Amino acid sequence: MAAQAFFTEHRRLWLALCSVFFLVASWELVLTYVFPVDPFFFTKPSLIATAFREQLQGSKLWHDLAVSSQAFIWGFAFAVIVGIPVGLVMGWRRRVEYSLDPFLTALYASPLVALAPLFIIVFGVGVLGKAALVFLLAVFPFIFNTFAGVKSTDALLINVIRSFGGNEKDLYLKVILPSTIPYIVAGARLAIGRGLVGIIVGEFYAASEGIGFAISQAGDTYRLPDMFVGIIILSLIAIILTELMRRLELTVAPWRASDEVR
Amino acid sequence: MKPAKIFAEHESLILGTGFIVLLLVIWESIPFWYTLPKGMALFFTTPSRIAAAFYELLLDGTIEKHFYISAVAFLAGLGLSIIVGLPLGLVMGRSATLEHLLDPYVTAANATPRIVFLPLLILWFGIGIWSKILIVFAGAVFPLLINTYVGVKNVNRVLVNVVRSFGANEWQVMKIVVLPNSVPYIIAGLRLAIGRAILGVVVGEFFGSSHGLGYMIASAATNYKVDVVFVGVAIFMALSVILTLAVKQLESRLASWRPEAAKSF
Repeated sequence: MAAQAFFTEHRRLWLALCSVFFLVASWELVLTYVFPVDPFFFTKPSLIATAFREQLQGSKLWHDLAVSSQAFIWGFAFAVIVGIPVGLVMGWRRRVEYSLDPFLTALYASPLVALAPLFIIVFGVGVLGKAALVFLLAVFPFIFNTFAGVKSTDALLINVIRSFGGNEKDLYLKVILPSTIPYIVAGARLAIGRGLVGIIVGEFYAASEGIGFAISQAGDTYRLPDMFVGIIILSLIAIILTELMRRLELTVAPWRASDEVR
Repeated sequence: MKPAKIFAEHESLILGTGFIVLLLVIWESIPFWYTLPKGMALFFTTPSRIAAAFYELLLDGTIEKHFYISAVAFLAGLGLSIIVGLPLGLVMGRSATLEHLLDPYVTAANATPRIVFLPLLILWFGIGIWSKILIVFAGAVFPLLINTYVGVKNVNRVLVNVVRSFGANEWQVMKIVVLPNSVPYIIAGLRLAIGRAILGVVVGEFFGSSHGLGYMIASAATNYKVDVVFVGVAIFMALSVILTLAVKQLESRLASWRPEAAKSF
């Protein structure tokens, strides 16, 4: 009885676990017994697990991750430093909004990653090229979400500050910034996804180290288990970062939880 | 009418285009007031040179040839993701069991930049059109699936119950209530999917490819033909902006009867 109650209560978790377990098990069994695996083109979970263990013990994986995250952090930090002030000013100054909005919207809507080859060739295969690419992709969610946040600031609060003699600085620090923070965090979640695309494409295109390079090199040399290890690690990082941002979003703005679409 | 009044009436239009024109003029005039060092000049181009390169490539049919290949990959991938994403989103929204079974994969795949699968797809499907179609598919299918699912989930329970009470079966509930309710969400998903699909085309053609606009950009960059790179980038920009605006138009038309527009993110 208790077991059944437990099962109904955590039905979601149980079904998810069963589904993943079943998929992995059937992948392994089918490739071992039904179609013997050709290691050049396909691989199975047991081989991936072995490769995973080896990579975790070796130093190359950690080095690759350090290289990639360095470029990511630089690009992302600059995106925050540039994007938030631009968004704030755009939201508060009508003429700035009118001037910048069409230009930035066009850039936001277009696949700027098309500039990746040029960036890598101009700035080099090192940290700078990839960081510039991450910046280029990640800055727009910050600009536009900050902008939307400022736009949705409660006019009543602004009037209150004005009535009590607050100046421009009070307005920004006491009303606009706090009510914009939830939007900025939501923007950060989008920016993470775009920034990761920048890192990966930059490293696929030309690099000598980094996690994206490790994946494409494993592919070029038909080391499928290693390639899957890279893909899994990258997925895990993406999932963890996205989930962290979602939690942060719920913490800073619990009232927005109902708006959340996954 | 006084100029001041014209300006006040069309302020946003004037300032918006004015800023873009100003940027282009500054960009164009850089060589006149500053001599670039030789290393930099190699990577530098101006809008007029880009326009000239565009005209030339258009005349000799290069753009047409590459555009055709890219368009096929884009349309096939997007079509495939609609064929797979919509039904899957519908059933995931209607069946809790199926939702729980598929949820881990959808969540994980949606959080991961799908571009990482590109080397794998090239390995499996070669450097032909199929690896591009599938990377476009991988990018575009999740926004469609998730938005359809959310649209189905947000359906008004009362309406479903009314239709049920009058003896409708699951298929009729789907047709009469669920699908019409999900349309704005699906369109919003389509807008996101188009962006992802174009990203897939660009990056898919960067690597292991010999045709397509993405290839044109990558090979021009390798040969330091910077103006050709910008021609490719400009084409992609124009296409994205046009497609996004078109879908937005459709979105606002379809959603006009709703009190609240569909959410996109």
